[in-house]
Amino acid sequence: MPALCNDLSSFARTIVHGEEPSSEIDTNYTNYSVAVAVGVYRNNYRGNLHDALAGAYPVIEQLVGKDFFRRMTRQFIGQHLSRSGNLHHYGAEMSGFVAEFKPAQDLVYLPDVAALEWACHCAYFADDAAALDLVKLAQIPPVQYSELILCTSPACHLVRSRFPIAAIWHAHQPGAPGDFHIDFDCGSCNALVCRKNDVVMVFELAEADAAWLQGIQAGISLGEATAATLERFPNFDLQAVLLNIVTQGVLVDFSMANH
Amino acid sequence: MTMPANHTLPCTAGIGLRVPHYREVLENLPKLGWVEVHNENFFGGGAPLRTLLKVREHYPVSLHGVGMGLASASPLDQKHLSALHRLCEVVQPAAVSEHLCWNTAGEIVINDLLPFPYTQEALSHVAHRVEQVQEKLGRQLLVENLSSYLSFSHSEMSEGEFLSELTRRTGCGILFDVENLYVNMRNLGVNAEAFIRAIPAEAVKEYHLAGYSVRDGCLVDTHDHPVYPEVWELYEIALRHIGPRPTLIEWDSDIPALAILMDERAKAQQRLENCDACAV
Repeated sequence: MPALCNDLSSFARTIVHGEEPSSEIDTNYTNYSVAVAVGVYRNNYRGNLHDALAGAYPVIEQLVGKDFFRRMTRQFIGQHLSRSGNLHHYGAEMSGFVAEFKPAQDLVYLPDVAALEWACHCAYFADDAAALDLVKLAQIPPVQYSELILCTSPACHLVRSRFPIAAIWHAHQPGAPGDFHIDFDCGSCNALVCRKNDVVMVFELAEADAAWLQGIQAGISLGEATAATLERFPNFDLQAVLLNIVTQGVLVDFSMANH
Repeated sequence: MTMPANHTLPCTAGIGLRVPHYREVLENLPKLGWVEVHNENFFGGGAPLRTLLKVREHYPVSLHGVGMGLASASPLDQKHLSALHRLCEVVQPAAVSEHLCWNTAGEIVINDLLPFPYTQEALSHVAHRVEQVQEKLGRQLLVENLSSYLSFSHSEMSEGEFLSELTRRTGCGILFDVENLYVNMRNLGVNAEAFIRAIPAEAVKEYHLAGYSVRDGCLVDTHDHPVYPEVWELYEIALRHIGPRPTLIEWDSDIPALAILMDERAKAQQRLENCDACAV
């Protein structure tokens, strides 16, 4: 379909890159010029992508204001093409983009807040996963626990930051009290995104728990992850973190490490 | 879980169900023939799917896609198609539809519903893709006529002729968007009656109705207004020539209170009933 390919590619460049419409496009319309028609398509293109970004990054939009957010998305859209017919996939690169976006340089926490929002967005649309089968787990002899490979839910994401991103996120949720105070000197934040009863939630994990969970998410065995964590954090409490993440539906399955 | 009929949509009026109305519809269960939702909002699990399944317990559901790009110049997105397949398995929709448009050319994806030249080449291409979709889903796909703001000088047939031939080759159905036809009539000088004559009545399985807006003289398919009188008139003509079919009120932007949407629905329902009365 060479001719169709050429027609569509040329039309695509007209919309996205501002090229003149090809000679294959009719130029005479009764009520408007071809420039108006092309303008409608260009406007739809940018508008749909902007709306997708506004849907995925509501906290960023609140933090910088609607006008500034529009400036940001305009530049983002110019730099990042959509890669999927599903608009909910658009905007994954926002955190990296914000880090390089000069007018927002003073808002040092913004890239990490964007990363947290993208994790929440992905958690919202993630596939369902069966709950952890505790009966099956109980059948594993305790002597083999160290060889367990734990699988986390597709809705679970860990976002680690130097800034209090979980507190910022919570302060900008619908219904949050407006009189919040965020202490930027409170140290690092390990935001755990998960989905429980279909609601996306953000929790904070202690440094040791986050280091351990990062190991688990990387696919290393329970024994290795725990040993590595204890080396750095002698007070690490495995039982407490396990109870916490099982309660939050973070763990969905397990297997045994192959030796 | 019990579900109402899922083989065909009832020949009544339904509404496009959008986020602002989820709760109210589920709490009050208004008298509605059926609802239609956009597929892509339910690819995945969690709250969106759970809500849709609750709705599905009370109403037949039509799954309407905006992202497949049936005419795109790129391989059919198999992930997208698989996600739709999974959704169909769970929801058991009464109808599945997509638009006669493209959204991808090579590396460029444009998340919009874009027109293309109606050529024999495009017909073979789209027919092949519609067949792939129908084969994967194991059911008939309804293909919707498009609203366009420009046209191609080397089209070899009208959109109506294209759709007619597409149904003949693939067995797909037609989702006749009356407002889209009206937009094309005004924007491009399309002959609406010729369109209605061109498409086989028995292939038409659903109507869409919506409101457009006007930008610098161009009618834009924004779904942000009530249905205009001229579109109701065209709908009545379609009802006379083609017959009554399940009819949907679409409203996607500046979404009003549910009561207003229900009033629009009632107007469509009244026309469907008048049409039935005439036939008897």
